[in-house]
Amino acid sequence: MRRYVMLLGLLLVFPLTASGDYREEFEQGFLTKTWSGQQPEENFCIECHSSDKMKPEFLTLAEEWKASWHAQNGIACHDCHGGDPKDSSMSMSPHRGFVGKPSPAEVPEFCGKCHIGILKNYLESGNGKALRSTGKGPHCEVCHGSHNVQRANIDIINEQRCTKCHSYERAKVMKQALFLVEKKAGEIEDGIKALRRAGVYPEEQERSLFNTQAEFRTLFHTVDVNLVNERTDEFTRKLGAIEKDIQGTFIELRSQKNFSAFLMALFSIMGGVLFLIIRTPDK
Amino acid sequence: MNGVTKRIRNWLEVRVGLDELLRSNLTDYRVPSNINLFHTLGAVAVVGYLIQVITGICLLIYYIPHADHAFRSVQEIMTRVPYGWLFRQMHVVGSNLLIAAVFVHMVTIFLMGNYKRPRELTWISGGLLMVITLCFGFSGYLLPWTQLSYWATTVATSIPTAFPVVGDFVSRLLRGGSSVTGITLTRFFAVHVSLLPPLFVFLMVVHIALIRRIGLSATPFGRSDEEKRPLTEFRKKLHPDGYPYYPYLLQKQALMGILYFVVMFLVISFAPTFFFPEEATVPADAFKTPESIRPEWYFLAPYQMLKIIPNKFLGISLQIILLAVFIFWPFLDTHKEKNIFKRPVLRGVFIVVMIAMVILMWWGRR
Repeated sequence: MRRYVMLLGLLLVFPLTASGDYREEFEQGFLTKTWSGQQPEENFCIECHSSDKMKPEFLTLAEEWKASWHAQNGIACHDCHGGDPKDSSMSMSPHRGFVGKPSPAEVPEFCGKCHIGILKNYLESGNGKALRSTGKGPHCEVCHGSHNVQRANIDIINEQRCTKCHSYERAKVMKQALFLVEKKAGEIEDGIKALRRAGVYPEEQERSLFNTQAEFRTLFHTVDVNLVNERTDEFTRKLGAIEKDIQGTFIELRSQKNFSAFLMALFSIMGGVLFLIIRTPDK
Repeated sequence: MNGVTKRIRNWLEVRVGLDELLRSNLTDYRVPSNINLFHTLGAVAVVGYLIQVITGICLLIYYIPHADHAFRSVQEIMTRVPYGWLFRQMHVVGSNLLIAAVFVHMVTIFLMGNYKRPRELTWISGGLLMVITLCFGFSGYLLPWTQLSYWATTVATSIPTAFPVVGDFVSRLLRGGSSVTGITLTRFFAVHVSLLPPLFVFLMVVHIALIRRIGLSATPFGRSDEEKRPLTEFRKKLHPDGYPYYPYLLQKQALMGILYFVVMFLVISFAPTFFFPEEATVPADAFKTPESIRPEWYFLAPYQMLKIIPNKFLGISLQIILLAVFIFWPFLDTHKEKNIFKRPVLRGVFIVVMIAMVILMWWGRR
């Protein structure tokens, strides 16, 4: 026994004296953070815009972006502004596609690089036409903000914002026309979240909702109430189909639970019967 | 017995000696009279393993071990394949229950002192079976190719790098490269379905053969049953005053096997997402680290232990040493007393280890 204890002691002493020459990546992973958490990538845009040397008016941009819908979806500074966030010397070089801050008239094209359908509808609207002809007029940033862009919702259309330029009457009618579809989309979104919590990966439903919402939102950038009203039924029908699909999945999940509960009851009865007939040996 | 059955029975009787085979293994095979429910846990583990084999084969039919298709194929199993959800749930819940059953089995064997001579080899084969069961859990965890499995495997396969000289090699061997990719998936799949099962079956056969060859040890909680004689020759432990295996122990084993099914379906019915956190329903994304990654509950204690020991090499070495101590425990504990209640030091160590494990698990889960 003594020999075993001594051997164990030796085995424990050995690692203590070891050099611990293991990968730095592993050590950092364990000591500086838990296994969870976002792995921050080197980004000179964020670094400079968070440093003390930055002008105060540009200092808040990084924080604003971090709280944005864009950040949540992995859209970073260079996706809109160009440049190279990984190379400090070239981060703002036009050779790397840096375009900097757009002028108000350039904003629709700037955002429209990604939001192509919306750009088209916006340019056809009164707002877009005004901006094009006079260089003045509401553009994307006026309603959606610049860096702290939040997920678009119907509340963006409000009296305070719209009355900066014109009366609220027309916008109010527009909002009413949008309300039903947006409400239904919100309910479906909740349903998708519930499906996720129930262990289902609702890829199809999510994709359908995204496509329907994107199509609908391009439409209301025309600010054409009649057009929205005309197509509301079509979108309601599309959303209704997604909702039905979600409900069907929930019904399926319930029937699975019931079937499993039935099997549980069956085995419980079998166990109960066996317990009753189990023979106790004679002493 | 009708004519056909009788003819089949006779056919087998003259060829394999069926009656004698059944008699020697069922009615003439006697077990200690003070046998208790804890003696059924090994049989429960066998039932659990059979469930894993059957459900695993069903999943194999539809599962695609490729990084581009693995996640989708698992979703298809869950949503489109008839009763695919049931087989997957049984496989996932069953794997966790099996590990729990094996763990409880080993703890009770430890408490009853049944690892003592001449059963050292039975304990070692059982310990190795437990290690293989954990390897099954580890290798199977990656197969659905979810965010959770991907990142948990990324961290787990980086652990060997804490070892100097061979660490990088072992890590690369596991991953099939510098990071977790489709190659890792196919490796883990191969290990899970073709390397571990035969190893497991071999050890299980050895384990059961040893139990039958040496004879069941009576629990020290009842009548004293010490093998205090000098171990100079092989002597099978017979229980002439004991009970026949059939029906007494077999029916208890059957009852516990049924209970295992009940618990499994209880979890599937009332807590179907218990083993499926939200990250387990999101496809693996090598560029996006999820908010929380943690291993399965049975790896939480070693995981937390690794985290709290600053020198990772020391942490991993310590764990390997503890594993070796666990497997070779019968050679370290040569005390003749089997009853742990008569051994305060061992009892104290056992309680401390159990409490430490629970604390580490709870800590690791946070």
